Amino acid sequence: MTGANNLLLEIKNLDVSYGFLQVLWGVSIVVGEKEFVCLIGPNGAGKSTTLRSIAGYLTPKNGAILFAGKSIAGLDGTVISREGISYISEELNLFTIMTVRENLLMGAYTVRDKKQRNERFDFVFSLFPRLKEREGQLAGTLSGGERKMLGIARGMMSSPRLLLVDEPSLGLAPQMTTGVFRALQFLNGTGVTILLVEQNVRKTLQITDKGYVIEKGKIVLEGNTSDLRNNEHIKKIYLGG
Amino acid sequence: MNFQTVRHHFIKFYGWARSTGGITVILTAVLAILASIDKGVFILTNTFVTGGMWALVAIGITLIFGVMNISNFAHGEYFMVGSLAAYAIITPLNAHLQHHPNPWLLTVAPLIAIAGATLVGAVFGLITERLIFNQLRKRGKGNWLLNCFLVTIGISVILSNAYLLLFGASFRGILYYWDLPPILIFGVPVSVDRLFTFCLALFTLLGFWVFMKFTRTGQAIRACSQDERGARMVGISVNVVNIVVFCLGCAFAALAGASLLFMFPAYPTVGLMPLYNSWFILILVGLGNIEGTIPGGFIIAFLQVATRIYLGEGWENIIPMFIICLILVFKPYGIFAYSVRSVWEK
Amino acid sequence: MENIASNRLGLRRLLNLASMTPLGFLGLVLLGLFPILPYLNQGYLIRWFIWAAIVAAASMAFDFSGGYISIVNFGFSAFIGVGAYSSALIALRLGISPWLSMFLGILPAALLGFLVGAVSLRLRGMFAICFTWFVGLAFFGLAMKLVPLTRGPLGLRAPYLFKTSSNLPYFYVAFGMLVVTYIVLKWILRSHLGLAFQAIGQNVEAAMTSGIYPAWYRIINFTVSCGFAGWLGGFYAHYYGILTPDLMHTSKTVEILVIAYVGGRKSLWGGVLVAFPFVYAMEMVRSSLANLPGLNLIIYGLFLILIMIYYPGGLAESYQVYLGQSRNPLVRWLINK
Repeated sequence: MTGANNLLLEIKNLDVSYGFLQVLWGVSIVVGEKEFVCLIGPNGAGKSTTLRSIAGYLTPKNGAILFAGKSIAGLDGTVISREGISYISEELNLFTIMTVRENLLMGAYTVRDKKQRNERFDFVFSLFPRLKEREGQLAGTLSGGERKMLGIARGMMSSPRLLLVDEPSLGLAPQMTTGVFRALQFLNGTGVTILLVEQNVRKTLQITDKGYVIEKGKIVLEGNTSDLRNNEHIKKIYLGG
Repeated sequence: MNFQTVRHHFIKFYGWARSTGGITVILTAVLAILASIDKGVFILTNTFVTGGMWALVAIGITLIFGVMNISNFAHGEYFMVGSLAAYAIITPLNAHLQHHPNPWLLTVAPLIAIAGATLVGAVFGLITERLIFNQLRKRGKGNWLLNCFLVTIGISVILSNAYLLLFGASFRGILYYWDLPPILIFGVPVSVDRLFTFCLALFTLLGFWVFMKFTRTGQAIRACSQDERGARMVGISVNVVNIVVFCLGCAFAALAGASLLFMFPAYPTVGLMPLYNSWFILILVGLGNIEGTIPGGFIIAFLQVATRIYLGEGWENIIPMFIICLILVFKPYGIFAYSVRSVWEK
Repeated sequence: MENIASNRLGLRRLLNLASMTPLGFLGLVLLGLFPILPYLNQGYLIRWFIWAAIVAAASMAFDFSGGYISIVNFGFSAFIGVGAYSSALIALRLGISPWLSMFLGILPAALLGFLVGAVSLRLRGMFAICFTWFVGLAFFGLAMKLVPLTRGPLGLRAPYLFKTSSNLPYFYVAFGMLVVTYIVLKWILRSHLGLAFQAIGQNVEAAMTSGIYPAWYRIINFTVSCGFAGWLGGFYAHYYGILTPDLMHTSKTVEILVIAYVGGRKSLWGGVLVAFPFVYAMEMVRSSLANLPGLNLIIYGLFLILIMIYYPGGLAESYQVYLGQSRNPLVRWLINK
């Protein structure tokens, strides 16, 4: 829960364009250490774009992105991953011709110590027992929910400080969504800071501490989720009255 | 091993044997044996010797295509580089040995030549990758496949004409690496050079397999070839992977050029045949299919050896071409029906 | 700008019919005049420019498939060769005038183009390029080995178009063929066929949903492209008088391809503009630095790489970016804006 003193991630006045089309306008987001923050909004609002810019797959036109005080805007995805930020993309980008175990091993690519690697395996398998069952199965043959689990698990193998998760509930049945969200809650409990982008507003607001609402590339609302849940705009647009 | 498992394996084998890939491989093997009975065992020996090396060259080009998405028209030129480098190393060594005979050096000199040539090939690969492909990558990805193809045409032209310019058009070859009597294998005389080349190909292929499956870099390469963004997401340096892959591909081509120097002398356009062959194999086994290049290499080698014997000099490039055209028409994904990434179809 | 004197209007209409900008027309006139101008009237220059005209026309035909329907015909020179050898053989064996056989040579080339185009229907992208490449290699090999027919590397002698040994008439024939190729190809491109080509070239699935069957159009395009190749091959045969299989080699396709791409994809005139300085430079280097063989091709290759990295759109794109945006009225009139 909250107890954040340091700001782990600061985004200040971010402008991002795809070619000549500007999609983010002066976006500012602040995520404290160990916080669980969500970024919600309608389709095409710029949620995924924001995550991609933080993760190093888009270079912003203007603005700053600071991770633990260090500027990371414009850095390559590999570098950002090594800084301790794990990005779980919407498409997951799993290695489909590799087994579950091999995918997780790749997740631990930057972990040189074998003992540490095995500890990570234990941790991840205890979090997602289903993955342990399917250890030798090819990632491409997993079900939708299992693939999301594998995506998150792989991202966790490197013991990241910050987890960026892009719409994990997309395409999942409700029970699976609950399972995934519960896992994220647990992870946050162990001290991992999480920035979650989601369309499923109701469930998201139940598990997060703070939220930002983005519409048409601009932040329109922010605050503690307890306040957001009672906000009129949110209630009307996102929670169906 | 009880009856059930034997039966199970037999059924699997039978299923494979009925597939296009299985039929082709078995047919080639049968034809090879028949041709050897007809014309002599050298058909089999030459098939094995060159087949292994063509497989290596094809693996090089497949890797480069699979991981970096580059269709390399200049791949044959690295074979030429290896050829020339080996010649440049072995000739002064041999001259030295004329006057200062040294049994140890006599044995080791060809190894030095081949190893040196492979290194030179890798260095050329490094220069090409950093100087050209890295620049191309930085400048946007539009039409990447076609632009790369055109760029590699440019590289090919530059390399083969640079050879012509700097060293002239003469053939630079050697008769043999080791002046030893042929070894008898099952009563068949096989020259030491040929035996060594075959073993070297096997050894390199094995080493490559170990590298890809068990080393950290090898796994990183496999990851990059499957999902580049995923590789970045787990902290793999795609830049380093690209360099390693390209250098490895070129090194393999150079290795083949060096070790086959006694068969194919160095000259400016010696790279054409390895180029055609690797593309044949690429199409034959399915673009991106690394395991398939090994049987593919032997199939192409046999085709060339057999056409040269039965139809005469010069036909060995035409017949395989017609066969490949047939394959492209009826089985564009290759005889092993390897599912190729859709990016090829753009 | 439209209310200029009527004779200007007539000229403009004529130019529009021929799909030429005033600038282009000016260039053509200069090109046509040059062999008569005193200083430029050198024998070797005329020879070089004949070859440049052939290459220019060939690059237009190449770009017709490569640029517009995105099928790179990597065996293109084989089609030129088929036209050349057919025309030569028809003229030799049947005693027909080379003027006629030049046109008859189009048939085998176009037929081969039809077959290759039809087969490559099932293939896309790199596969099609590979296929055309291998077809080209196969025909190169055949030309080498079918000695009774083609005399292989020894060379096949073909009757000349003119009795005179002067290059001048050949230049004007080549020049004429260049202009005709341009006008005909441009005319096709401006018709509804051309629209279909562009649609297919950009996005095959989208074209299909618009009711265009790519198959038919790809075949037509490819056949036309190869037909022109055959025609040019015929001229080649009866100008140089001797044919060797080298004509069909991949390196010849590469020469044409480089010029087409440096000139710009989807731009016919780009290739023409690039061909002349290129050929001039190449021959210049080759003849003046004869003790440095291959240097001209190295420069060639370097140029290709540099252009592909820094200006992949070729000359035509740079033209669009720089000249096309100009506000100078004279420039705008010259480029027909």
